[in-house]
Amino acid sequence: MCRLSFQQNREGGELVITLENITKSFIQEEKEHTSLQNINLNVNKGEFLCIVGPSGCGKTTLLRMIAGLDFPTNGRIFEGETEISCPSRERGYVFQQYSLFPWRNVLDNIAFGLEVKGLEEKERYQKARKYLKMVGLSQYESSSPKELSGGMKQRVAIARSLVNDPQVLLMDEPFSALDVQTRHKLQEELVRIWSEEQKTIIFVTHNVDEAIFLADRVVVLSHGPGKIIKTFNINLNRIRDRSTPEFLNLKKEITSLLEIEL
Amino acid sequence: MRKMFISLILPVSVIIIWTILTTFTGLIPSYFLPSPSEVLQSFETLLMNGQLVQDTSLTLMRVVLGLTVSALVGIPLGILMGWSNAVKDFSSLMVGIIRPIPPIAWIPFAILWFGVGLESAIFIIFVGSVFPILINTLDGVKRVDKVLLESAYTLGASNSQVLLKVAVPASLPSVVTGLKVGVGVGLMCTVAAEMIGSSSGLGYLIFTSTSMLDTGSAIVGMLTIGVIGLCADYLFSRIEKEVSW
Ligand SMILES: Nc1ncnc2c1ncn2[C@@H]1O[C@H](COP(=O)(O)OP(=O)(O)OP(=O)(O)O)[C@@H](O)[C@H]1O
Ligand SMILES: [Mg+2]
Repeated sequence: MCRLSFQQNREGGELVITLENITKSFIQEEKEHTSLQNINLNVNKGEFLCIVGPSGCGKTTLLRMIAGLDFPTNGRIFEGETEISCPSRERGYVFQQYSLFPWRNVLDNIAFGLEVKGLEEKERYQKARKYLKMVGLSQYESSSPKELSGGMKQRVAIARSLVNDPQVLLMDEPFSALDVQTRHKLQEELVRIWSEEQKTIIFVTHNVDEAIFLADRVVVLSHGPGKIIKTFNINLNRIRDRSTPEFLNLKKEITSLLEIEL
Repeated sequence: MRKMFISLILPVSVIIIWTILTTFTGLIPSYFLPSPSEVLQSFETLLMNGQLVQDTSLTLMRVVLGLTVSALVGIPLGILMGWSNAVKDFSSLMVGIIRPIPPIAWIPFAILWFGVGLESAIFIIFVGSVFPILINTLDGVKRVDKVLLESAYTLGASNSQVLLKVAVPASLPSVVTGLKVGVGVGLMCTVAAEMIGSSSGLGYLIFTSTSMLDTGSAIVGMLTIGVIGLCADYLFSRIEKEVSW
């Protein structure tokens, strides 16, 4: 009950994720090393939030804590009203590395979440096929992950997370290993899926261009220890044109902000 | 084709030199090393009187039985030890002490406990092959890519589901490697056990024929073991390829 005050943001929208004064330290060579300091962040329902920051500033660490794969040294993280204590199907995670189960074909990879939930095979496959179609890979349903390109693997990983219909989709530089053309294509697809499915997405990247293309709001982290230095609201129409002056100005501004940090 | 040709060069040359040394020059007397034709003769005799088939199938049966017991014990135990540090801490000292003991050293006790026969052979094979299976399985589970485990958790899998649906299939290649090593060790153990504590099998065949100076039959027994080992290795290499992820 005491948490009700956090339930609504200024515009009265619903909060999905709340980070309260998060600090994360690691012990490295017997020295305490703070990688994130005093992070306060609210993520609204349906929002596309991007977190950018220099390499090693703690982006992955932050996302892992939201997922429940890691824990803050200080501070608390909430999903809705519940404090996050472990991973959950409500917080889907797309990893930077390829993470498909290599012994399962594409369809069985996507159906994994439904399988562990105990759904019947027929229902499982029916739903999995819907998401497979959404990422445009219907003809690959019985392929092995080995046979897929990097971009296709990440598409399947996205479908695998979406099939659980999670509250939030957490994405850690999912496109960073891809070539520019593929990356741009997947960014467009992601924006389309996001608006169709009305998901909340927290997307980590060190690519400023990517962040501006995708996000409603871009949070910029500083380096060592990571703190939020600035937040940008991006009010450009989607699908965004990278060559407009607004886009380029924002890119310049955020990039220079990050360069000061390095 | 080329590979097959290259791999045949060495055995064929050995047979040629062997023939020259024994048959054509007579440099080596036949009780010291029988000539290829004598070995072939022994092979024919053993094949016709059924002894070779009988001994081979007995040895094979022992290896398969012993290996099955090893797999039934080693794989689950390896999975548990790889998954739970508590289980590992609990059992690692015990495993560490028993593992280095050569299987052959168990033969006297095997005979004492189980008598001469199938049970003691199975016991010896078990002692020899359970550790490679266990250690490889444990290692496989320990080295499962963390990102696969974490993916499963974020997709809603429980601990036991992650174990059964991710850790176990992911470590399958190591399990197969363990079985492959286990077969080799198991075969060696069987023959050793048969030489001492048995009255049948290829080990027994080798042992009795040498003591009766029937060196031809002994070599037939040895080569049969070699061929079995080769086939088993080939089979498991195929399976390994099948499950290499
Ligand atoms: N398990 C860990 N143990 C010790 N230190 C860690 C651990 N995980 C992360 N760190 C440290 O925390 C800091 C932040 O790491 P993190 O991976 O979150 O950075 P990042 O912003 O995701 O970097 P990149 O852009 O390179 O992926 C780094 O200095 C890293 O060394
Ligand atoms: Mg990272």
